[in-house]
Amino acid sequence: MPSVSSLDEAAAALTAAHAEGRQVRIGDDLTAGGLNRILEHDPGDLTCTIEAGVRLSALRAALAASGQRLSLDPPGDPTIGALLAQNLSGPLRHRFGAPRDLVLGATLVLADGTIASAGGKVVKNVAGYDLARLVCGSEGRLALIGRASFRLHPVPRATRTLVVETEAAADVVGKLLGSQLQPSALDVLYPGRVAVLFEGSERAVDAQVRATQALIGGDETDTSVWDESRDRQEASKGRVHFAPGSLADVLAGLANAVIRPAAGVAFTLEPIPSVDQSQGASRGAEALVERIRREFDPRGVLAS
Amino acid sequence: MSLPASLVAELQAALGTEHVVTEPEQLRVYECDGLTGHRAVPELVVLPGSTEDVQVVLRACHRERVPFVARGAGTGLSGGATPVAGGVVVSLARMNQILEIDLASQRVVVEPGVANLDVTRAVAAEGFFYAPDPSSQQVCTIGGNVAENSGGAHCLKYGFTTHHVTGLTFVLPDGEVVELGGKAPDPDGPDLLGVIVGSEGTLGIATRVTLRVVRTPQTIRTLLAGFHTMDAAGAAVSGIIAAGVMPSAIEMMDRLTIEAAEHAVAPGYPEGAGAVLLVELDGVVEQVEDDSAELERICAEGGAFEIRAATSDADRALLWKGRKSAFAAMGRIATDYYVQDGVVPRTRLPEVLRRIEELSAHHGLRVGNVFHAGDGNLHPLVLYDAEAGETEQARELAEAILDACLDAGGSLTGEHGVGMDKVCSMPRMFSERDLRVFERLRRAFDPAGICNPGKVIPTPRLCGEVPGPYRIHALERIGVAERL
Repeated sequence: MPSVSSLDEAAAALTAAHAEGRQVRIGDDLTAGGLNRILEHDPGDLTCTIEAGVRLSALRAALAASGQRLSLDPPGDPTIGALLAQNLSGPLRHRFGAPRDLVLGATLVLADGTIASAGGKVVKNVAGYDLARLVCGSEGRLALIGRASFRLHPVPRATRTLVVETEAAADVVGKLLGSQLQPSALDVLYPGRVAVLFEGSERAVDAQVRATQALIGGDETDTSVWDESRDRQEASKGRVHFAPGSLADVLAGLANAVIRPAAGVAFTLEPIPSVDQSQGASRGAEALVERIRREFDPRGVLAS
Repeated sequence: MSLPASLVAELQAALGTEHVVTEPEQLRVYECDGLTGHRAVPELVVLPGSTEDVQVVLRACHRERVPFVARGAGTGLSGGATPVAGGVVVSLARMNQILEIDLASQRVVVEPGVANLDVTRAVAAEGFFYAPDPSSQQVCTIGGNVAENSGGAHCLKYGFTTHHVTGLTFVLPDGEVVELGGKAPDPDGPDLLGVIVGSEGTLGIATRVTLRVVRTPQTIRTLLAGFHTMDAAGAAVSGIIAAGVMPSAIEMMDRLTIEAAEHAVAPGYPEGAGAVLLVELDGVVEQVEDDSAELERICAEGGAFEIRAATSDADRALLWKGRKSAFAAMGRIATDYYVQDGVVPRTRLPEVLRRIEELSAHHGLRVGNVFHAGDGNLHPLVLYDAEAGETEQARELAEAILDACLDAGGSLTGEHGVGMDKVCSMPRMFSERDLRVFERLRRAFDPAGICNPGKVIPTPRLCGEVPGPYRIHALERIGVAERL
């Protein structure tokens, strides 16, 4: 099946598969690669609406021209559709959240070819069900994501990175999170290092770097540590979710990982099964997703 | 319609007779929420004390196909908690315990009946706060906040309830209990929390909520800028957003509301102002100083004739008091008013405000504007006199204002919700196809159609009815729940 270049084409492709009872794997059998236009970007609103086939790098370049950005920095260069469907984030997750925190609305194509929109393009909106959030992390199993609107942020005027060499990463992280400093990113590159990113005005970033050094030490470095963090995230074989307060316990059980403490996630080099230590482990979530799938895709067209 | 006697007996046995309300006078207490124009007396009110109690109630309702409506403090403004005649109201008022405070994880676990402000009170001494701050925060409950995805003045920077809920114990309409998320954010799989938060009580009942609390900022700075015109103030808001300054709140008031507030609580707003902006910055000291300087520059260049910063906590509280009293103050200058809740893209603010002025003149009714300008969330107050027969005129004007918001690319509701109030307006924002997909989502959770029916998604039967006029809500009258 081809790469579609319009919502109608996507709907037609899915309608046909639905009629024939044929399974479709979004991202493989059907991609939104041709849906690659930035539909709307009004810098004064700090929002944009884009088609799901747009690559993150292309969006980044377009927004940078207005001094703005989508504050998501996952590894690689995913399409916006993949970014949402896999709920991808990177170091900036610490301050700005995951895709579900920045998405404002989406247009979806359901397995039977129904095109439907939810949410909107304004930053505040509670009308209707939040299907744009629902499809975050859905791995293409609820619908094809056709387009989406996002909240944007200004590109910061100044950016500085500190790296703290430490054998006691949990203490270092605890001190920083307990302070009133506001890093944009905070990653543990385990074992051995904690990386901290500050963004903002020159004066504010400078003050925060100095305050952080007084609190936990560390040396300024270039931004390559963030590339390393993303590379290790991408190369990881396992993932652990944990309550942020149990960082020390989690670290004790790991050998080599990148950990994003505020997001309660560790990307491990070892192939461990996805473990949820978040105290209150999900119960019934999968069955509930299945109930939604049966309504959205009763014939099971969308394969995982 | 009356309930099977066996159902009442069953619930009395399970919950205790004292937690099942059957007396007509007592049932009447629950006949409406903050949207007082819609009323219906429930057949039964139950006050469960635990997740298990809620499960018992919902299982029984499901078995008998009896509709139910969950209720927190009843401060909602869109009729999300309006009972269904002949149905059951499930009040979560008894489930009001803070279960766990885990500041190492920056989480607080609460029952749904806990009041919003009590979360902040529980962690303030340790230097944390719960960010969503709807104006009814002294009394409104976390369960209600989850249902409505409540915001507040400071959601411009901190986001809404959906950004602060990481886990839920949730009872589905058939009584099944699910545990979603936990203290860690970003669970694998589709974002069920994301679709449940803000679903207006139509997908089930939350019985335990894990909340993210935030470290208090180093400093807070509150500025007041007076402008001659709304146009100039609106343009300044766009300028602030475009410049990349991120205040925690930007509130705007027009001449009518300034005068009313001044009369009511004398906050000392600039004399003769056609509009004021109340802007708050918080965070690291140096950042707040730099942003404050830029903000003052933008306001001055945009025609602000007076800019002042709060000099003390008391001064800051007074500036906010003026803003928060604005709705109640309107009660002094008009016998009735209707609060609209629309959203526009922030760059369209000046043009939509002009349009509202035109519409106001055209319909011959005054409109006060006091709203969350930073996120484009308008709250025009349509002033009218019901006894003079202006109700219908007021309704038409409020609808026309909503149309202007939608024409500008905005939304039907920024924070009050759809509920009963705007259910018939949904087709103005969503297509028939969109609404049918919403129905499919709802059916996945509630195939029997018993969970808060008649809200959010329009039906032909429902939308033939004309809503009654707004009447002042009891909580509002006693001054604890302003319409903000």
